[in-house]
Amino acid sequence: MEIISKFKREWMLLVVFIILALAPVRHFLEQSMVTHMLIQLPALVIIGWLATNFFPASWKERIKEWNRWGISGMAFAIVIMLYWMLPRTLDAALSEWPIELVKFTTVPLMGMALGLSWPLLNSIAQGVLKLEFWATFMRMGWLYLDLPDRLCSNYLLGDQRILGQLLLVAGTIWAFTWMLRIVFGVNLIKT
Amino acid sequence: MKTFLITIIIVFSGSLLLWESTDGGEAFTAETARRLDVQRNPRIIPDWRLEDQNAEVFSLDAWRGHFIVVDFIYTSCPGVCLILSSGMKTLQDEFAMAGNDNDLRLLSISFDPQTDTPDRLREHLVEHFSADPDYWIAARPTSNEQLKSLLDFFKVVVIPDEYDGYTHSAGYHVIDPTGRLVAIFGFEQLPELRAYLAQALQTEEHHGNNQ
Repeated sequence: MEIISKFKREWMLLVVFIILALAPVRHFLEQSMVTHMLIQLPALVIIGWLATNFFPASWKERIKEWNRWGISGMAFAIVIMLYWMLPRTLDAALSEWPIELVKFTTVPLMGMALGLSWPLLNSIAQGVLKLEFWATFMRMGWLYLDLPDRLCSNYLLGDQRILGQLLLVAGTIWAFTWMLRIVFGVNLIKT
Repeated sequence: MKTFLITIIIVFSGSLLLWESTDGGEAFTAETARRLDVQRNPRIIPDWRLEDQNAEVFSLDAWRGHFIVVDFIYTSCPGVCLILSSGMKTLQDEFAMAGNDNDLRLLSISFDPQTDTPDRLREHLVEHFSADPDYWIAARPTSNEQLKSLLDFFKVVVIPDEYDGYTHSAGYHVIDPTGRLVAIFGFEQLPELRAYLAQALQTEEHHGNNQ
């Protein structure tokens, strides 16, 4: 029974991935900078991350040999993240299909790297990275809100501003839940 | 040891990837990338046949031997096209009518050919910007395929905005006397463009005299 349900969940993940990759869904999410960056990309990361739950233990062991303390996996994830933070790669994904293909493979791979490496990181490294990710959120939010020019040729300035606001709001909520946890011991989000 | 090795490889190839995909740390946006690309690899422009403000066929080849500045507009544009067009007007007064044999030519191409009929183009050009049609022409593509190939060639991106208009890459595209796209300046770079043209036209005149 257990095996069957696990099997089903694996398929679910694949189905969600395929739905995201379908042309109409893709175009819908890529119409706006906000849904492209706050829904499509995070969804692809989460799919990759969840997929690691279904990796056989033997794979994980083999990978672990090359990924002690999660260091190499995090390095990979950070490279991919930086790459997709370049405005021109996001533009290129819209106009050139090979780059779109690269996005649909590397971003889930990044999620996998995170899923495999995060639990292996020691808690100080986790803290530092979490703070750095959070700071990146806030920096990007501020930048998008403040820039007078468009970063992506395919998106409107208004879109960029809304994305900036949403990033700042998300970052603030994130910081607030941390504070609740650290100061009052309330655990709203499990990380 | 294995982890150390693979991390070094990842960091090294990752840096290389980021370096390559930003043209050596110089171009982070598609707009800077297209300007840099043209500067490094000038491209020969195809011989498009457009329709000008008098509904006549206009071919860029007719202006071979001149420096040409091209901008992309739509005549109902409330914003950046007006800045571009008044920049073109400045260029016309300064460089086109200087009376040299190899003076500058100006071309405004509409990317909204459905709305921008020859009549509207003429109104935009002559009435709004007192253009001299000997030096400054407004034209529209004659088919959607042609429009697409123009935008693709110049890497101009046009997207509909929230006010039923368009947001688009705004710049001055410089074509040299041999028919190559050699430089792109942003609409905010008019002073740089003028300095560039002053020098380019002077060098050109020199060549002309020596021949």
